[in-house]
Amino acid sequence: MERATSQTAQADDTHGTGRPVLVAEGLHKRYAGVHALRGADLTLYPGEIHGLCGENGSGKSTLLKIVSGLIAADAGRLLLDGAPVRFADPTEALAAGIATVTQETTLVPDLSVAENILVGHRQVRRRRGIDWRATRRRAAEVLARLDLRLDLSTPAGRLRPNEQQMVEIARAISVDARVMILDEPTSSLTDEEVEAAFRVMRVLRERGVATVFVSHRLNEIFQIADRVTVLRDGSAVGGGPLGDYDRDGLVRLMIGRELEQLELDASRHHAEDPVLRVRDLSIAGHVERASLDVGRGEVVGLAGLVGAGRSDLLDALFGLRAEVRGEVEVDGRPVHVRDPAHAMRSGLAYVTADRKRLGLVLDMTVRENLLMARTAGLARLRRPRAAFERAAVDGAVERFRIVTESGASPVARLSGGNQQKVVLAKWLATDPRVLLLDEPTRGVDVGAKAEIYRLLTAAKESGVGMLVSSSETPELLLLCDRILVMYRGRIVAALAREEADEARIARYAMGHA
Amino acid sequence: MLTRLGRAAASQRFFGVLVLLIALFVFFSISQERFFTSANIETLLSSAAILWVVSIGLTFVLVTGGFDLSLGSMLALAGIAYAALFNDLGVPAVPAIVLTLAFGALLGGGINGFLIGRAGLSFLVVTLGTLTLFRGVVNLWSDTRTEQVITPVLDSLAFDALVGIPLPVWIMAATFLAALYVQRSTYFGRDIYAVGGSPDAARLSGIRVSRTIIAVYALAGLLAAFGGVLQVARIGAASPLVGDAIIFDAAAAVLLGGTSLAGGVGGVGGTAIGVLFLATLQNGLSVSGVASFWQQIITGAILIAAVGLDRLQREGSLNVRLPRGRRTAAASASGGDG
Repeated sequence: MERATSQTAQADDTHGTGRPVLVAEGLHKRYAGVHALRGADLTLYPGEIHGLCGENGSGKSTLLKIVSGLIAADAGRLLLDGAPVRFADPTEALAAGIATVTQETTLVPDLSVAENILVGHRQVRRRRGIDWRATRRRAAEVLARLDLRLDLSTPAGRLRPNEQQMVEIARAISVDARVMILDEPTSSLTDEEVEAAFRVMRVLRERGVATVFVSHRLNEIFQIADRVTVLRDGSAVGGGPLGDYDRDGLVRLMIGRELEQLELDASRHHAEDPVLRVRDLSIAGHVERASLDVGRGEVVGLAGLVGAGRSDLLDALFGLRAEVRGEVEVDGRPVHVRDPAHAMRSGLAYVTADRKRLGLVLDMTVRENLLMARTAGLARLRRPRAAFERAAVDGAVERFRIVTESGASPVARLSGGNQQKVVLAKWLATDPRVLLLDEPTRGVDVGAKAEIYRLLTAAKESGVGMLVSSSETPELLLLCDRILVMYRGRIVAALAREEADEARIARYAMGHA
Repeated sequence: MLTRLGRAAASQRFFGVLVLLIALFVFFSISQERFFTSANIETLLSSAAILWVVSIGLTFVLVTGGFDLSLGSMLALAGIAYAALFNDLGVPAVPAIVLTLAFGALLGGGINGFLIGRAGLSFLVVTLGTLTLFRGVVNLWSDTRTEQVITPVLDSLAFDALVGIPLPVWIMAATFLAALYVQRSTYFGRDIYAVGGSPDAARLSGIRVSRTIIAVYALAGLLAAFGGVLQVARIGAASPLVGDAIIFDAAAAVLLGGTSLAGGVGGVGGTAIGVLFLATLQNGLSVSGVASFWQQIITGAILIAAVGLDRLQREGSLNVRLPRGRRTAAASASGGDG
């Protein structure tokens, strides 16, 4: 399990005191039939990092959208420096000093870092055109304030995602934002990048900015936040200095009950005969001579940095890559995986990391998504049998505890965790021999995470072999019988469960033997 | 029951156009006494038959996220092919229809579908190419001359009636029901939405994306060829000039009916309403003695208004006041769940 680090992240009492800069009181918001916020409160003090916690659907996004001026509350009020305010759109909120950085980038990819920082009316103008030298100087000042080192003339599109985030933060700082909303800034970052993001957040704290930090990773909250607010079902159920909480207490507040503890060890059964056998699999420039076995009912983990070739290896096994060399056997039968349809017939299934683009068709219903893979091999002019489909969907909804109005609801309307359960249900419905999983709990809250672990454990017990790639080492340590570590396209270590720990895995992942 | 039906209709993307259609119909019925007569309604419907079948084919293509500019040329080509089969080769009238439809499916699937679905070329480039190419073949083959095609089978197809209802209307109903069945009650129907909604997710789920794309272009070709046969039946001749503007009307009907250019949403139900709307507008205005140019102006304006209205419904704002840079910031800030 992840280690709670409550003692290391004690709130420093000098931060987050004085008069609050922003207060949200009793906010209510209804969307067609859904009461998303039921009197939510949030109080932000200058110079604090404020962790906002809550499961998907608890109202975090709605609350933040109101604060950032994207939507209006039905009831309740916002106080900025004690005075009531109302924002018609995000531009007004920004003008009042409230800046928002989300996972989706708003940078113009072809413009330079300097231009992106000072985009709009803030570039230094001369009589004719723009004074580029002055603009660059001003952008450099902003970066210096954040202690960031970025090349000002690089086009933003060529930066790494975390660097793009920094540019967005710099842009907000350039307008003297006093409230900085960071909505899941770390969810797709590597450990080092997270550390860099934390450095910037600490600089913001020193400068007296109130930062709202949203993350599903509780250890990050415990590392950096001074105070927290916990939302559940649209209202704040707890909050205050982080020191008042330990990890379990926070989780209990978020989900409103005790988290189920997984009991895995008793049920581990290895099989000698591998269901998946890979020999010398290579993709030029990405994966080099990877060999591995996955036994019946065995869970094998793939650890490594982002870009080490984990996703490439899984993609190749599912027929998504051209120019793959090597041998693959499923259940002792050699397969030449050319395309996903072929891979599925061989008994493979693949839960991808990119749920919204690859895992689901968001415009379609829960039912259609659930049955898409299972029915892909049937004659196309056949009529789907309604009774069979209803039974299959009802069964999956119950077994996977998917929270949805009905099978006919658009899957886009589900929360992230429930969408991920639909993806998992969709693939387990194909009755696979081997399940490939890439970041199976990315962007999923603690409650749904525990359920997904439970479902994977059930699949393991029914004999499905699994190959799980994850950036979260604790997840691998929890789920896997064996962990393979990849470094620059090679499998550099194979650790049995007993010999694996975070430090060892990290060492191999960095390329140290 | 009625309110439930009403609510179901209101949730559809074609709801706005349906209301407009009813309003237009009521308006013409009240203002023009020659409008709401059985003879005029028959004319209104029969005249829409060709646009109807072509638009249904185009709907499937749009749902997959594509477009087919070449359907008008294919319609003309099918007419010439029918004349050649029937007049020159002596194929009997009914088998000639079947062969013509197969020819259309082959052209659509084998050329457009193959190049777009298998070779991965842009649908705009491919169908812009075949639009010109097929028209060239039409002119070459027909020597730019209109050729008479005289057969009682086609005559009755265009002008006979069954239990008091003109055959073209029966044909429209049959085509519509068949298309609706394919769309709603087959796995193929689901595939086209999956491919249009997210081709990558569809492929990853084991759906044969190229085959699906080839199939919709084949289907569109088949229906365009059917439109070509109906055209020959209507004018009693195969003309190289027909169909040169039908793609614009068909596109207007499909888009009015709520099918999106982005793919993944819409369907033939909306298209039927879109076609009926255009037909009613045209017929009503001509009954009123208004110049046909007005029909073009009104159709264009309503098309833009309908698409704008749809966007307003979905996003709650047109974002018209915001300058470009701000708008992208606002749009992306709305992403993310929770």
